[in-house]
Amino acid sequence: MAEKTYICRVDQIKAGTPFIAKVRSLSVGVFRVGETFHALLNICPHRGAPLCEGPQCGTTAPVEEARFIYHRENEIVRCAWHGWEFDIKTGSALVDPTVRARTFPVMVEDGNIYVTA
Amino acid sequence: MFIVDCDCHNYWSSATVLEPYLSGIWKDMFIEGEKTGPRGSFPHGHRPWFHPQDFSRKDVRPETEADNYRIMKEKHLDKYNVGVAILTGDEPIEASTLANPYYASALVSAYNDYQIAEWLPKDDRLMGSIIIAPQDPKLAAAEIRRLGSHPRMVQVLASQGSVKPYGDPFYHPIYEACAEMRLPFAIHLGGHGGVNWNAVAPAPTTFFWETHAILHMSAISHVASMIAHGVFEKWPELYFVVIECGVAWVPTVLWRLDADYKALRKETPWLKLLPSEYCRRNIRFSTQPLEQPPNVQHLWSILEAMDGENTLMFASDYPHWDYDDANTLHIPPSWRTKVMGQNALDVYKRIPAILTANAA
Repeated sequence: MAEKTYICRVDQIKAGTPFIAKVRSLSVGVFRVGETFHALLNICPHRGAPLCEGPQCGTTAPVEEARFIYHRENEIVRCAWHGWEFDIKTGSALVDPTVRARTFPVMVEDGNIYVTA
Repeated sequence: MFIVDCDCHNYWSSATVLEPYLSGIWKDMFIEGEKTGPRGSFPHGHRPWFHPQDFSRKDVRPETEADNYRIMKEKHLDKYNVGVAILTGDEPIEASTLANPYYASALVSAYNDYQIAEWLPKDDRLMGSIIIAPQDPKLAAAEIRRLGSHPRMVQVLASQGSVKPYGDPFYHPIYEACAEMRLPFAIHLGGHGGVNWNAVAPAPTTFFWETHAILHMSAISHVASMIAHGVFEKWPELYFVVIECGVAWVPTVLWRLDADYKALRKETPWLKLLPSEYCRRNIRFSTQPLEQPPNVQHLWSILEAMDGENTLMFASDYPHWDYDDANTLHIPPSWRTKVMGQNALDVYKRIPAILTANAA
């Protein structure tokens, strides 16, 4: 049975500094991307590393020639160990979208953030 | 199951930790002389590739010198119940890139003394490596003899980058000293800069990942060279340990070496066994970073072809970005006891004696 866990106040999470919280028995990273909040299990689907302890960052846009367009700033988390990049909103790995980090619903009520797991 | 980690990096936060272990002109040069970066940098000839996200895991963030061991203990040794971790330093093997062999030798000596004084006492599970600067093999041999009797120094370690392939007779004083002190000779990925300019053939590649994936080209050269020059005929009990160079290439290279040797053995009449037989007897490979094909059976077939059950030794490469953890290493389950520890205890013969003494 899913339950709702209080995480913190909205102003406690800045873009670039996720809040890592216990949700039931799980370690979960809660990220701010623009004005929305997203939660990922703090376990990388690649090799089990602490995914959310890596940098929240952007990445290079796919291009046809050697140009370097840094985009999607703060939409990506780069795993703490091996550097795999994941879309924070969907949990999908950029290099292979079939590899997915587990995501959790996030709710904001009266400036409080809750995660359901 | 007893776990031996054959590649555990003991970081420092600043190379100034070596200052108390240097003296005379070397201390003067280390403090006052030019370095590769600001004060606290270790002097070395840098490689032409920069790691885009740096080498360390991002969940390992030491703030003080003491944190380097505290985090290793918490996030690695205790977490994975590591029985023994062989320290491989980090920057010190890069002394092999310097053109001045006397300064390089002084730097690795200082590191070795620092390791013995400041790391080994921290934890009974830690064993040391005698790091050498191979560009002057006579000085390297002297360093091996200086520290080779220390019971917790379990191997001699050099970088994979070198000015010549390691089988060359130029390096034989090193193996003579290793054999005399009954220590394995190990090489670790790195040292691919400065005087060791030819890390990859035919010339430096461009990007870091492209390069890192093929840096074992040097290891291929060293394996072929050590065998062809007869190092294992001169010192039949010497173990040569190849660390962090991958393993899936090994059988295919041995197939080629055996085929060409059978046709052209007249070039090296001192050899008595097939290249693959010397490899099986004298060379060991650390697992990390173990290749990850989509179908693990493909990897396991290759590992069987190199008798991986008996020639592979677990390594984590803590705390680097391509760390392999002990719980999830993808080897055949029936091999785990040997690969995770027993094979290393057979190669590093000092370790069982220390474990017995610690238990008493």
